[in-house]
Amino acid sequence: MKGMKLLTGAAVLVLGSLALSACSGPSDSSSDSKVSMTLWHNATTGPGAAFWKTTVADFEKANPNVTIKIQAIQNEDLDGKLQTALNSGDAPDIFLQRGGGKMAAMVQAGQLMDLTDKVSSDTKKVVSDASFKAETYQDKVWAMPVSVLPGGLFYSQDLFKAAGITEAPATIDDLSADVQKLKATGVAPIALGAKDAWPAAHWFYWFALRECSPATMEKTADSKDFSDGCWLKAAQDLQDFAAQNPFNDGFLTTSAQQGAGSSAGLVANHKAAMELMGAWDPGVIASLTPDQKPLPDLGFYPFPELSGGKGEPGAIMGGVDGYSCSVKAPKQCADFLNYIATTPVQEAYYKAFNAPPVNTEAQKQVTEPYLQDVLAAYNKAPYVSQWLDTVLGQNIGNALNVAVVDMLAGKSDPKGLIQAANDAAKKG
Amino acid sequence: MSTTRETTRPGSVSTSDLAQHDGSGAKASLPSRPRRRGAGWSGRAEIALLAGPAVIVFLAFVILPVAMAAYYGFYRWAGYGPPTDFVGLQNYVVILTDPAFLQAIGHNAFIVVMSLVIQGPIAILLALLLNRRMRGQSIIRILIFVPYVISEVVVGTGWSLMLSTNGALNGMLHNLGLGSLAHDWLSDPNIAIWTLMGILTWKYVGFAVILFLAGLQGIPEELYEAAALDGASYWQMQRRITLPLLGPTLRIWAFLSIIGALQLFDLVYIIWGQYVASTAGTSTMATYMVANGRNAGNYGYGNAVAVVIFLISLVVALIYQRFVLRRDTAGALTERKTR
Amino acid sequence: MTALTAGRTRRRGSGTNPSKRSTKERLPWGSPTVYFIAFVVIALMVVPIIYIILGGFRTNSQITVDPAGFPNPWNVQNYLNVLGGSVFWGQVLNSTIVALVTTIGAVGLGLMASYVLARYQFRGRGALYALFAAGLMFPITVAITPLYLVVRNLGLMNSLGGVIIPQIAFALPTTIIILVPFLRAIPDEIQEAAFIDGCSRLGFFFRMVLRLSLPGVITTGILAFIGSWNSYLLPLFILNNDSTFTLPLGVQAFSSQYATDTAQVLAFTSLSMIPALIFFSLFERRIVGGLTGAVKG
Repeated sequence: MKGMKLLTGAAVLVLGSLALSACSGPSDSSSDSKVSMTLWHNATTGPGAAFWKTTVADFEKANPNVTIKIQAIQNEDLDGKLQTALNSGDAPDIFLQRGGGKMAAMVQAGQLMDLTDKVSSDTKKVVSDASFKAETYQDKVWAMPVSVLPGGLFYSQDLFKAAGITEAPATIDDLSADVQKLKATGVAPIALGAKDAWPAAHWFYWFALRECSPATMEKTADSKDFSDGCWLKAAQDLQDFAAQNPFNDGFLTTSAQQGAGSSAGLVANHKAAMELMGAWDPGVIASLTPDQKPLPDLGFYPFPELSGGKGEPGAIMGGVDGYSCSVKAPKQCADFLNYIATTPVQEAYYKAFNAPPVNTEAQKQVTEPYLQDVLAAYNKAPYVSQWLDTVLGQNIGNALNVAVVDMLAGKSDPKGLIQAANDAAKKG
Repeated sequence: MSTTRETTRPGSVSTSDLAQHDGSGAKASLPSRPRRRGAGWSGRAEIALLAGPAVIVFLAFVILPVAMAAYYGFYRWAGYGPPTDFVGLQNYVVILTDPAFLQAIGHNAFIVVMSLVIQGPIAILLALLLNRRMRGQSIIRILIFVPYVISEVVVGTGWSLMLSTNGALNGMLHNLGLGSLAHDWLSDPNIAIWTLMGILTWKYVGFAVILFLAGLQGIPEELYEAAALDGASYWQMQRRITLPLLGPTLRIWAFLSIIGALQLFDLVYIIWGQYVASTAGTSTMATYMVANGRNAGNYGYGNAVAVVIFLISLVVALIYQRFVLRRDTAGALTERKTR
Repeated sequence: MTALTAGRTRRRGSGTNPSKRSTKERLPWGSPTVYFIAFVVIALMVVPIIYIILGGFRTNSQITVDPAGFPNPWNVQNYLNVLGGSVFWGQVLNSTIVALVTTIGAVGLGLMASYVLARYQFRGRGALYALFAAGLMFPITVAITPLYLVVRNLGLMNSLGGVIIPQIAFALPTTIIILVPFLRAIPDEIQEAAFIDGCSRLGFFFRMVLRLSLPGVITTGILAFIGSWNSYLLPLFILNNDSTFTLPLGVQAFSSQYATDTAQVLAFTSLSMIPALIFFSLFERRIVGGLTGAVKG
């Protein structure tokens, strides 16, 4: 047995040394002479990737003692990699921030740099408070917003015209009528990428935005309790709407953005007339058209109003993309964040990503009519909410996503949806 | 006449009988009892030298992470910073009472059984088919194995495009005028699980064929020649010679197949997505784990599900070892004298 | 002894001796039934693959509009993009290095450990086998986070070694489970004969066991190679530097945050499966080459 003992002993030694050597990475010595930082973003390809290279190069020119190393990570993988890096003390200095529950968790773990006092006055002049609100937690600012992505319906004006629809629907009843008209022309009225669940859940969130007052929504965000009747009513509205079969065939296995065959692809190739999405959608659609250029007849209209709902008319929901500094980053990190909020950089951002910038000066440069409509709706909205699954946190958000798909697939009903949301609190 | 394990199987000719018959030492192809070794110091040093590197690497990179993951299962943890919210066994209680998880177990059980039932016979027949020397054997074997070579991600993407309601398969059926045969291959709960079985068979039958081919090589031709002299038909020979001697390979393949089916994740996740998997009736324990764990930001819960999957796999493996593999690895887990 | 030599002469007669095969003796034709069945099976196996390959010749728009159609027009840009870039070839090199070293490591360590488990008798053997088998039971998707910490603490981050060693570790259970029966099947007579000839146990291992268990070794080698070649999760977390990326990670370059260039991805993955196929076809002869005649006869 001595052989086994030797083996076990050696293994214990190795394991012990591994376990004991936890969490002590070499720390950056941030002397003022040479500062080096790392930047993680998710624009792995195309003009987005080029944008970051140019922006970093310009910043390095203006600050000769700073070098920034860029790493582009595929969007789906970024969160996992980032989280692991943050936990092990290996975090990049500058990284994409999703906001919401994820940001709150990072703040609670002490992993983010507090930017409240580091936002320069120049930046505050061109970036509105509303945009900063999305990156605020416990009254402190933790990320610099770069792009505002409100949601609504992106549609093909040609297909609408062919169906005899002269103006965009203003109420849900109008939308239902338009759906019938579009069906008669043989295209799918609404493209829905339910395979990814969140596109389906967005329909529920928008109905909730129309049914529930802002106060109720904020209360639920804190209490995670969905007993207020407006939530059930929103679920019922969605079920009634879905009963008209407005979505494309096989929407349960259609992805939202994963290339060919996705809901964006359907719109890009005129096989579906519209989809409910955020302001990133034009860029996605543009990549899937036959000539890979933006869809020429793309239009936008805000989510229709609902009579009898307690929500504020004109309220809008959207996401905000931002960038955070890790708590260990050198102070030049905040300088970089202020730099990317400046007007020239924001204009370049808009051109590269075809998404609305937060910088109000840069917003004036937006030329596409649908983006102008998006910004108009956003700027005059009385109430702006972030995506509800961001607001409610990943756990509840995820459960709601699943529950909505179950309801649309006929496996559950509005009561079941609310029940699933309430049950999710048990898991985390 | 030795009372080997083989004689306990009813209705089969003992291979050791055959062995005595032609005396060419065919009994050597049976898994033989190893002699007692390792009695001395040099034996132990040899054991340490030979097995040591594997054990150390394995402990450090597999067992240690697994233990750490199990530790996280006792917490409610959002994944950032160290876990602080100790909840003991509560995660496990929630898991075992969640109807979604119980459904997933049911799906896994179905996949386990069906994988064995469908792939086993097909692979054996194919291996028999390909175990003869003929022109083109190499290229045939390569082509049958190709699906296994391709990564699950690619397989998932390709099949997804082909089987979605607006995908290639339905499109082709329409083009051929067989539009009525077009179905919701992926989202119809009545069909989806069979679609999954079809894809799994497609991907993994090649693996089984290769394993069985390797195993078939271990069967000496003399046995067949002797049986042919005795007037046995082809199928009789397969039943009496091939199957029993392929036994150890078959049982190992079944073991790997069962464990693989219990842990099935990549294909389902990529083709069905984490959400529709449960709607379509193809969710597995592993997709449940990712959907309710990592994707929901409940890392403690997710790790607890992983431990549950581990325990279920372990129990199944132990049962399998005890009742099925015992004859092959006799002496590995239980000391049994057979001679 | 005579049994062995008798077997050997008989083997030579039926011509499965591999050295004979390499002199290109003409193989007989199989029966038409066999070819027909093989054809049907192969068609089923290969059609989806062809779909993937052809998909690389289309554009995303084509795929959306006409899923079942042929490329029209044929678009070679996707394939050219992949082959023309230097990134692809660098990744091929990295993937090859990682896969080869993983294979050699997994098979080497696995063979040694299997030998111990198969042919030595000692207390704790059952526990050791169970330890390796238990490693098979845990899904890697969960073990990845603590594994990352282990790799980092050993200073192996962002290096191919940090990918290779854990892959060896995770390949060990399958390797050992497959090899143990193969090694057990080596008859005692051969071992005794070797000892009589003055071979030590270790010498027997190094000189003869490898050759005697070659089909099993090749099989596990192929499984380890393919597992490593297709591995995505581990390299994703460990490798930060573009220059160290393996092939699966290269797919990232074709998916941005909001869009995936499906056709390009299909082209890329079609090309990346070729080396694994080549590796397999090189060795598949050896699986069925049948040294077993000389051994089992």
